[in-house]
Amino acid sequence: MNKRLVIDAEKCDGCGICELVCALNKTGQWHPALSRIRVFADQKRELHLPMICVHCIDPLCITACLMNVIKKDQETGLTIRDESLCIGCRACEISCPFSGCIYDYTREIVVNCDLCQGDPICVKYCPTKALQFVSEAESAAQKRDETAEKRVVELVG
Amino acid sequence: MFGYAGSILEVDLSTGEIARKKLSPDFAKKYIGGIGFNARILYDELPAGTDPYDEANVLVFGVGALVGTPFPTAARTEASAKSPMTGQFGTSNSGAFFGTQLKGAGFDVLVIKGKAQEPVYILIDNEKVEICNASSLWGKDSWETINNLKAKHYGVEIALIGPAGENLVRCASIENGYYDGWGRTGLGAVMGSKKLKAVAVRGDKGVRPKNPKALLETVKEGQELIQSASSYTAFTRYGTLVATIPYGRFKALSAHNFTKGTLPDWEENCGRQVVEEYSDRHVACQSCIIACGHWVEIKDGKYKGLKMKDLEITPTVSFGATVGLKTEAIMKASELCQRYGIDMVSAGGILGFAIELFKNGIITRDDVGFDLDWGDDDAAFKLLKDIVERKGIGDILAEGTKRAADYIKESEKYAIHIKGLEIPMIDPRNRWSVWALGMLTNVRGGDHLRCRNPVENLRYNENKYDYLKERFGFKKPMYDKLDMPEDLKSKIINLENDTTDIAEMSRWAEDLVNLYNSTGICIRPPVMEKVGPTILAKAYTDLTGIEITAEEIMLAAERTWNVMKLFNIREGEDINDIKFPRRFYEEPLGEKVADKEKIQNVLEKYYKARGWDPATSRPKSETLARLGIVEQ
Repeated sequence: MNKRLVIDAEKCDGCGICELVCALNKTGQWHPALSRIRVFADQKRELHLPMICVHCIDPLCITACLMNVIKKDQETGLTIRDESLCIGCRACEISCPFSGCIYDYTREIVVNCDLCQGDPICVKYCPTKALQFVSEAESAAQKRDETAEKRVVELVG
Repeated sequence: MFGYAGSILEVDLSTGEIARKKLSPDFAKKYIGGIGFNARILYDELPAGTDPYDEANVLVFGVGALVGTPFPTAARTEASAKSPMTGQFGTSNSGAFFGTQLKGAGFDVLVIKGKAQEPVYILIDNEKVEICNASSLWGKDSWETINNLKAKHYGVEIALIGPAGENLVRCASIENGYYDGWGRTGLGAVMGSKKLKAVAVRGDKGVRPKNPKALLETVKEGQELIQSASSYTAFTRYGTLVATIPYGRFKALSAHNFTKGTLPDWEENCGRQVVEEYSDRHVACQSCIIACGHWVEIKDGKYKGLKMKDLEITPTVSFGATVGLKTEAIMKASELCQRYGIDMVSAGGILGFAIELFKNGIITRDDVGFDLDWGDDDAAFKLLKDIVERKGIGDILAEGTKRAADYIKESEKYAIHIKGLEIPMIDPRNRWSVWALGMLTNVRGGDHLRCRNPVENLRYNENKYDYLKERFGFKKPMYDKLDMPEDLKSKIINLENDTTDIAEMSRWAEDLVNLYNSTGICIRPPVMEKVGPTILAKAYTDLTGIEITAEEIMLAAERTWNVMKLFNIREGEDINDIKFPRRFYEEPLGEKVADKEKIQNVLEKYYKARGWDPATSRPKSETLARLGIVEQ
């Protein structure tokens, strides 16, 4: 897999559509506690930051897991889990620095984003393009352009 | 039950009783949600002639039917009670995240009855519902209260009152989190009379759509529709401030308490460019793809350090035009209103009224304690504080313009209100439109938000149609895409003469806004232009599994409007109250006055279109039968 989910927090306005479509897509019901993407909101300052599993190269959740149910998929690079073996101890949730592990209390297990088999629904519905699903090359180019633009503005105003 | 949370929560503050009632599918289909539920519940449960501050008054929060889904702009909750301002149906609509949490906690409607002995707040944490002591919060401003409650209860959304509501200032608002609110008709005072400081809600329970796949498709369709609206791009950038410059050019603003039409520096002060000056990011309500809110920071000057979500047309016109304040002072004014918990429109109206009285020598320095003048922010804020704390003349003004005018001799001609509610925004002398007529026919009194023309045009302002029509101003593609039954559309809009029939369109516009307030979506122009009954009926069916057609869902909205009208008539609404303040008919603005007879003529046409008796404005029995309304 050479595409990745890129979050641009500056563009996020906190509408929460990603959470709703994710939960609907994964569980057939709207249930904010079931979404695998979460928008952190500081309401006083109206700041918003989408948090989601970033599929680390060396994930802490794998180290933390008591039952050894999480592993890296060699082909896709995704961090995946065998939900049937999860005992819901939430050790992975605590260890994750990105709040990517989500406790699903209807099934009493922990889940994480699986990028919807390569077509993430949150990206499709995000109205501000704060969430994008792009190839590594595109992502790098985009990043380069944005950084350059900022520099140029700093230099020449 | 699919789509709905499925139950109604009833809290009686007098007895401390907490009851959960099942929502019946028939009731749900008949009234859809939000304002529909509120209207019927108030009409059924409130004894006629109840004093708004009596414990028998009922405060209802109804969550819109589509709230909790990603349907664009589905965030809104309606709050209703008998209004302390008008003595009639008091109701107000707000977005943000309160409704999502209330529905998530398992309730479509929250009904609050009775009156507590001591200050309390209601805590709803999923199944757990408690009435908690709020003595330590009483007297605190809104922001402090929220900080306090949020630290105590993780993840709650809060509806609350500030000092204005506690002091029974008649135009007090209920605040919705830090920066939103149920502003109009004085619901905060009702909450204050019940000694209810706040309602804190957290909900994690799910809402199950009948058909999630289809719903997601409909959501996508809705998003694309709104994004294709002609006003979408401007709205995502400037929010509601897109309309300030056009209305200034029409000279139809509430400038200096409706004496000026516009102000010389209006465009520099309040034009859309101030968004670029003060804000670099947008803020959205739940599920919104427009994000008309702006995060504002003032970096230096007198109001340095002010940081909040702001720059909307309501405070801008209310304080910028009515009171004549400058840009940064307007932002400060809206901060103060948020923290005091007072309706910005009414607060601006009352201040404008007081300043005009002062300028005309009807009240003096001895009455006020200091001088008042147009655009004097310090004096305005001092007086606002006095109103909120009910000190000195503030105690009289806190009763609202209408009651204050009864009290202060010779002040009646300066009192600008309809049925006791201060008028925002537009002056019908220089801009006659569906929107202007809507202020007269509005069930909640002098207000502009319950009747909006889905194809309002801001390019032309021609008053050559004898008040009967306004210019349509768009081309055929816009006409074709407007979601309205074909026969009605061709009757209302005449493409050849390029006109819209005001009376007929008002009726449609009111029902459409009512439908939005029932389903919980927003009345921003890009939505109004594109989202009609067809897609809403589809989304409703996908969500709830209840089959409904576009016609039926529109009928439900019309039913709600008629129930509210019946409520008002039961509370003694007189057809003679349905008029503009005297100033509009008698004092020319430019050279124009509003023509009473011609307006009366349009009103009669409107009553006829509604199926109401033109002599009394009462819904005729055949209209009630057609709508299936059983009278109380």
